[in-house]
Amino acid sequence: MKKLLNSPSTYVDDVLAGLVAANPGMVLDGDSKRVIRRASGAGAGKVGIVSGGGSGHLPLFTGYVGDGLLTTCSIGNVFEGPNLASCMEAIKLADGGAGVLLLFGNYGGDKMNFAMASEMLEDEGVVARTVLGTDDIASAGPDEAAKRRGVAGLIYAYKIAGAAAEAGRNLDEVARIAQKAVDHTRTIGVALNSCQVPGAAAPNFRIADDEIEMGMGIHGEPGIWRGKLKTAAELVEEMLNRLLAELPETGGKRVSILVNGLGATPLDELFILYAEAEKRLNAAGLTIVQPLVGNYVTSMEMAGTSISLIALDDELQSLLAAPASCPFWKV
Amino acid sequence: MTLTSSILRNTVSRIVAVLPSLEQELNEADSKLGDGDTGGMLARVVAAIDQAGPDDGADVGVTLTGYAKATVGATGSSLGTLIATALMTASRQTKGRSEVPWVELGTILGDARDAMSARGGANLGDKTVLDALDAVAKSIAGYDQPTLIHAAALTAAKATLEEYRDRPNKMGRARMFADASKGLDDPGMLAMVRVIEAIGS
Repeated sequence: MKKLLNSPSTYVDDVLAGLVAANPGMVLDGDSKRVIRRASGAGAGKVGIVSGGGSGHLPLFTGYVGDGLLTTCSIGNVFEGPNLASCMEAIKLADGGAGVLLLFGNYGGDKMNFAMASEMLEDEGVVARTVLGTDDIASAGPDEAAKRRGVAGLIYAYKIAGAAAEAGRNLDEVARIAQKAVDHTRTIGVALNSCQVPGAAAPNFRIADDEIEMGMGIHGEPGIWRGKLKTAAELVEEMLNRLLAELPETGGKRVSILVNGLGATPLDELFILYAEAEKRLNAAGLTIVQPLVGNYVTSMEMAGTSISLIALDDELQSLLAAPASCPFWKV
Repeated sequence: MTLTSSILRNTVSRIVAVLPSLEQELNEADSKLGDGDTGGMLARVVAAIDQAGPDDGADVGVTLTGYAKATVGATGSSLGTLIATALMTASRQTKGRSEVPWVELGTILGDARDAMSARGGANLGDKTVLDALDAVAKSIAGYDQPTLIHAAALTAAKATLEEYRDRPNKMGRARMFADASKGLDDPGMLAMVRVIEAIGS
């Protein structure tokens, strides 16, 4: 598979160098040089929001560092969790004296390293809470929802928790709101083609030219079914049916929807999907608030899409609408 | 007969020597269950540990702490973090000693197994590297000769790999493959076998 790079061994460092060079609001920091922080630093007296994860998913994770969103982010090698040193640095750099919320996806390496980092920083007086993104309904059943992976829906939690922190709410309150955002969000994806880690000899998985996989994870984790490609209308109908069957009731019948590209899907096709989704959500009596269409959480050059829904109440809607700014999302 | 930092350094060198073939084999094994980078990750870890090699006569515990720090600097993957957890556990039991009797190795590995389980949440029987480590730790209990320890460890690791091949993975990303994982080697278990082979080469 062809890629534009200098060397697989410098891939991540080269990406981060370009990211901060092109975006003055971001700074590469820490001895590990695997932490992105806001150029303006941690807000004094405000809760810091920290995230982290493997490279290969831009704009997730580091792309969402900005006012009203993440304070800092640690980043690992491609599809690997951030290392312990970068997790510790990200937490310390986000601490403005009011504690930090660790908000990241439900993956083994990430969980272990952030847990170790926060345990080691307890001795230095850093207070932290952890909330995990668990929005991928294909990765476990509702009875095992805590085992679900965090995928594209995590950015709703970023936005909502970031707004709460910006408003000066305390750590327990920011953590409560972040968990509420996670609990109200569901995502499902469909993959058309694979991705390949830089330096790897082969793609992560293979799908025949005329096949798709419903529910596949962003690293190629298995989905719900694999079969022949369907029309956009048919795919959206199945995806929304699966999401709506699980979406919590908030009473207001309001949702935000994210139609997300995984890296290699043209925007044209995402808008075809959005048009289908809008028709079906309206037919279900739902009002769409702040729709998002684009590449918000990718998986290298994987072709496909994910659809996320968040059920909104007044509190969540207000925080979703609050001002925020990063290179990939402005409100 | 005792375990020293020099022996640790020589052991790492032997693993480094087989890295090219090991990396490829583990990547291929991992690509059947995950994202195919276990070999590459392990190669980075071993190379970083090799760079952290101690001076002759160094404290064994301090040496292992250095290896743990090198590991967490090289990767944030779950397997890498578990390796670092094992090294830190071993370092605590050997700190302040430049020579450690071989007969203690089984206990040290058993404690590392328990620490890894606590950190990662896996249990014995989940078809992870823990099962191989458990078998190795038990197989060498009471042995005080390196050649006997190596032979017993290799036999135990290979037997565990065979025993678990047709069982489902119950932990990590591979648990989602459940049925598909039957018949496949767990990359962590396979790595354990290959590393023990390399140590005796």
